[in-house]
Amino acid sequence: MIFSRNPARGSRVLNGLALLGVTGVLGMAFAWQFIYDELPCPLCLLQRVAFILAGVGFLLNMRVGPSPMHYGMSIAASLGGMVASGRQVLLHIAPGDPGYGTPFMGLHFYTWAFIAFAAIIVFCVLMQSADRKWGDSMLKKPVSALGLIVMALFFIMTLANVGSTTLECGFGPCPDNPDSYLWLPSSAAP
Amino acid sequence: MIMMLPFLTGLVAVWFGVLGRRRPCVTFWLLTLVIFGVWCQYHMTSPLALSL
Repeated sequence: MIFSRNPARGSRVLNGLALLGVTGVLGMAFAWQFIYDELPCPLCLLQRVAFILAGVGFLLNMRVGPSPMHYGMSIAASLGGMVASGRQVLLHIAPGDPGYGTPFMGLHFYTWAFIAFAAIIVFCVLMQSADRKWGDSMLKKPVSALGLIVMALFFIMTLANVGSTTLECGFGPCPDNPDSYLWLPSSAAP
Repeated sequence: MIMMLPFLTGLVAVWFGVLGRRRPCVTFWLLTLVIFGVWCQYHMTSPLALSL
């Protein structure tokens, strides 16, 4: 047992950076959606869900301290995300297929997502090895102002995704190739 | 299949995480993971143009 008012501070800072990275990925996808008017497909939306689930593991590491269970949550979510993004890569892998959406730096977003999920798994494996001395705790730990800002940004990005997905699909399923928001007037309409 | 549902349950998990309430956070995280799995199965039924 380690008695400290603010245990695993360095580890929690690294988890904060990881959460900031996940928030950045969600923000990038969100910005792309509105700047280039490219609506996310169902598989793209499921990859965003997986990023949110992976972020929750980092969030708990920041809020209540590092724990193997929190890293396990991020790893499980990333494995799910790799299934969704890998499936989309395979859907468009045939020669001549233009893929879905506009590429970013030569790769489509689902390919970047696959790489990002693999990176999260590597990060969690390394951090779990370094964090093995900390016990599991459910007590809240002090979080710096910067940490609170990162957590707030993550919450806002998740909230924004709830809003945009509801605007796009309403309370039903999304079409495979969406071309307009269900709850917004179409720009093609007279 | 309500596409916004996993985002909504994920948002609740994030909110409990921010509050530092781990048990409800993990409960909603698990619920979101289950919905994610079911929605993945729903959207992954068409055959791939691949020979494996």
